[in-house]
Amino acid sequence: MYESIGPDRFELVSVAQDSGGPTAVDKWFDRASPTYRCVVDPTHEISSLFGWVNVPSAAWIDENGQIVRSNEGVYPAETTIGFGLGKVRMGDDSFAEATRDWIERGADSEHVWSSRELAERLKPVDDDKLLAEATFKLALHFEAVGDSERAMKHFAAAQELAPDNWNYQRQGWTHKGTGYALLQMLKRMNHLRKTTDKSFYDPTGLPGENHHRFTEPEWLWTPAVRRLKQLVSR
Amino acid sequence: MAQGEAPNLAGRTGSRGENVIILANGKTNEVSQRTDDTEALWLRLGELPDATSWQMKPQGACLGELCVPLPEDKREEWIADADDWVWFCYSEFADMIGQKHVRDGDVWSLGSVPEVRRSGLENAIAPDFEMTDRNGSTLRLSDLRGHKVVLFTWSSW
Repeated sequence: MYESIGPDRFELVSVAQDSGGPTAVDKWFDRASPTYRCVVDPTHEISSLFGWVNVPSAAWIDENGQIVRSNEGVYPAETTIGFGLGKVRMGDDSFAEATRDWIERGADSEHVWSSRELAERLKPVDDDKLLAEATFKLALHFEAVGDSERAMKHFAAAQELAPDNWNYQRQGWTHKGTGYALLQMLKRMNHLRKTTDKSFYDPTGLPGENHHRFTEPEWLWTPAVRRLKQLVSR
Repeated sequence: MAQGEAPNLAGRTGSRGENVIILANGKTNEVSQRTDDTEALWLRLGELPDATSWQMKPQGACLGELCVPLPEDKREEWIADADDWVWFCYSEFADMIGQKHVRDGDVWSLGSVPEVRRSGLENAIAPDFEMTDRNGSTLRLSDLRGHKVVLFTWSSW
């Protein structure tokens, strides 16, 4: 996305949010051979500052330092997680296209949020979530110093205080291993799909977005199954 | 406040000196503390900026442009002398401004300051941060003013 839009036209700052630090993320950076600015954020400071609760998340910030859009669930391209029947396809071209439009047209882009939308979307958090944040940071500290027992205790407390914060859930699960974290995530996504109208990410509202893909296994999106679903729903 | 004007914390029942780890704003700092019989967090005024980013000024406790006057009836209660240092009862101040804090042993984690968060959301100015990038250079978001910025988080999990 950065190369195709034009490196001299905007700054892309890629933040690897991972308590594992460079050890956990360097291979991904190396694989991408990035030409943009990259930082590692083991204590989730950026998400705390911007109120983000999942990855990937992104903000557009204009030349005056104003946030003009902030979304979770934005992928620069399509990607997949999981395997077999649990394989989930994530992302589409909508965010990259919208970003290209904003870089071209600035405040005239239809994707820039109005002040009313900003006020609605950038909401303050309640006391439980503020307490969850402090608790989560305590868990990260104990994880970093190798005190697994206390890390797990505080991860669990933070997850309970802020159950909708996927960062707390996913980072906490990762403490038990990446395989465990992936299984928990797929399990929770499946639960969401069956019991609520929520998705893994809030909808971005961008043209071409298909956020239901984030909770539904890939096989549900094969043309034959989609056609069958359409016929059944009639 | 001059040291001589403050009440003597050392005279309080159960007070003792020890080091404590403060987690705040993504930083970890080990600083001195004194604990009184209420288990409150007392920090040296001189270590307050490093530990919490707050700084005591004549107009009150200040964090950047935000200054919070100390209530008149709390000044003497929250600022005290002990061991030739002036100490500030940070946990009670944090309670007053609604900043959440969690303690486990000698580690205290301080949450976001609600007023900072609220004012940032109201005017939608991107909150500034400073980190070291993978090339070892300092990346400060405010240094990118004048450019459009796409800030993007991801993880390995």
